Amino acid sequence: MNALLPLWSFVLRTSVKWPILQTLAPFVPVVALWWAVAAWGPFPPAFFPSPPDVFAKFVTLMEKGILPEYLADSVARLAIGAAIGIGLGVPLGLWIGLSKGAHRALWPVLLFFQAIGDIAWLPILIIWFGFGLTTMTFVIVYTVLFPVILNTVLGVRSVRIELHRAAQSLGASPARIVGEIVVPGALPNIMTGLRNGLGYGWRALIAAEMIVGTSGIGFLMFDARRAGSVTEIVLGMIVLGILWYIVDAWILAPIEQATGRRWGLVTQ
Amino acid sequence: MKSLSLKNLAKTYFDAYKGEHVTAIRDVSLEVPAGEFVSIVGPSGCGKSTILNMVAGFIPHSGGDILVGGVPVKGPGPDRGVVFQSFALFPWKTVLDNVGFGPKMRGVPKARRDEIAREYLALAGLSHAADRYPNELSGGMQQRVGVVRALANEPDVLLMDEPFASVDAQTRMTLQDELSRIWEERRPTVVFITHDVPEAVFLANRVVVLSKGKVLAEVEVPISRPRVWDRLVADDEFKDLSNQVLALVRSA
Repeated sequence: MNALLPLWSFVLRTSVKWPILQTLAPFVPVVALWWAVAAWGPFPPAFFPSPPDVFAKFVTLMEKGILPEYLADSVARLAIGAAIGIGLGVPLGLWIGLSKGAHRALWPVLLFFQAIGDIAWLPILIIWFGFGLTTMTFVIVYTVLFPVILNTVLGVRSVRIELHRAAQSLGASPARIVGEIVVPGALPNIMTGLRNGLGYGWRALIAAEMIVGTSGIGFLMFDARRAGSVTEIVLGMIVLGILWYIVDAWILAPIEQATGRRWGLVTQ
Repeated sequence: MKSLSLKNLAKTYFDAYKGEHVTAIRDVSLEVPAGEFVSIVGPSGCGKSTILNMVAGFIPHSGGDILVGGVPVKGPGPDRGVVFQSFALFPWKTVLDNVGFGPKMRGVPKARRDEIAREYLALAGLSHAADRYPNELSGGMQQRVGVVRALANEPDVLLMDEPFASVDAQTRMTLQDELSRIWEERRPTVVFITHDVPEAVFLANRVVVLSKGKVLAEVEVPISRPRVWDRLVADDEFKDLSNQVLALVRSA
C-alpha cells in the first residue's frame, strides 16, 4: 500500500501540470477495452477494426486531405447555422420574454414547432429546396433556434424584479434596461440554450449530411458504409466526439466561466 | 434635496385568489421637509413597504397624492433613489460600475462618472473594493454599495426599504453608525422603512408609527448629533424614546 503512495502523488502532480491528461485518462480504459476485444478476435478486422487500424485510416485521410476538407465543411455549416440561429433566437427570445402579449401569442406556437424534430423537416425540405446547402442550413438553424429562444425567454423572466426597479430608479430608460439588465441577467440561460442548440444542431447536421450531403463528416460516414469501410465509420464517430469536446471546452466553457460563474449567477 | 409629501394616500388592490378587494393603505398623510430623516415603523403587514413602493413609483397608488418638491410622482424616476433589502446590485457590474450606473444613465462620460463613483465609494470606506463583483463581497459591504449607488445619483429623496434587515447584528450597528455619519455630512431627505424600533429611533429626526394602513403616531427624536452607538447605547433619552415607540408598535 505504502509503495503505491509515491506513485499516486506522482499521478496527481503530473495531472495538475498537464490538465490535458485529466481529460485523456478516462479514455484509457475505454480504448484498452476496445483494443482487447479487437485483439481477442471474435470479429474479423473488416467488421470490428482495432485502434491502430483506425489511426492508420486517420493518417491516410489526413494525407489525402479528405478529412480536413470534410471537417471544415461540417464546422462551417454548423457555424453559419449557429450564427443565424443565435442572431434570430436571442432577439426573438428577448421580445417574447419581455412582452406579455407576445408571450401569450407565440409560446404555444413555439412549443408546437419545437416538437417537430429537425429531421422530421427533411422530407418536405428536400422537395422544396432539393439536396443541398439550403436544406442543411435550414435544418441547423431550425434546430439551434428553438433551444436558444426558449432558454432566452426563461432567462429574461428569471431576472429579479428588484434589478429592474433599481435600474429604473437610477434613471434607466426601457431600452437601456434591456441592454444593461435583461441581456446580462439572461446570459446564463442564453448560454444553456446555445449549448443545447449547438449540441442538437451538430447531430442534426450529421444526419442531414448523411441524407442530403455531398461532403462533411456525416457524408464521409455514410459514404464509407457504401464502400463497406467500418474503419472509416468508426473514425467519423471518434472525430464527432472529439470535435464536440473541443467546442465545449474551448468555446462554451470559457464564456460561461467569464460571465455567469464570475458574477455568481451560476453555482459550481 | 427636496421635500416629500403624502396627501391622503390610499392603496387597494384586488386579491384574485380571495376574489375580494384588499385595503393595504387606508389614509396616510405625511410631510417630510427637505433634509429630514423620517423612519416608518410598524408590525408586519402594516403597509410600510407598500408606501415605499408607491413613493418609488414601482406600484400605482389608488388614491391621494405623492409629491416630490411639489411635483406629483408618475412611475419610477432618478429623483427618488431606492435602497433595497435584497441590495439589488447588478451582479455583472463591478462595484465601481454599479455606483456609476446612475451617472451613466444621465450620459456622464466614463472618466467623470468613475471619478464620482470613487468619491462616493471613499465616503463609505469602499475604495479598495471598486474593481470587485458584488458576489465577492460580504452582505454588509454589498449594502454599503447599495446605499452609495443610490447617493451617487444625487436623488431628491432617498428611500430605504429595511436595508439592514438581512445583515448580521454587529454589521447592522456599524452600518447604522455609517449611515448616520453620511446623513450628517450630506443631509439628504430620507424615508427609512424598518421594523427595528431602536434602528428607527437611532437614525431618524422623526419616527412614524404605522398600523393597519394608517398613521398611528409621530414621535420627534430630538437626540443631539452626531449619533453613534457607543454613546447612545447607554443614553437615557434614547432608551426612553425607544421604549415609547416600542409601546406604540406593540399596541398597533
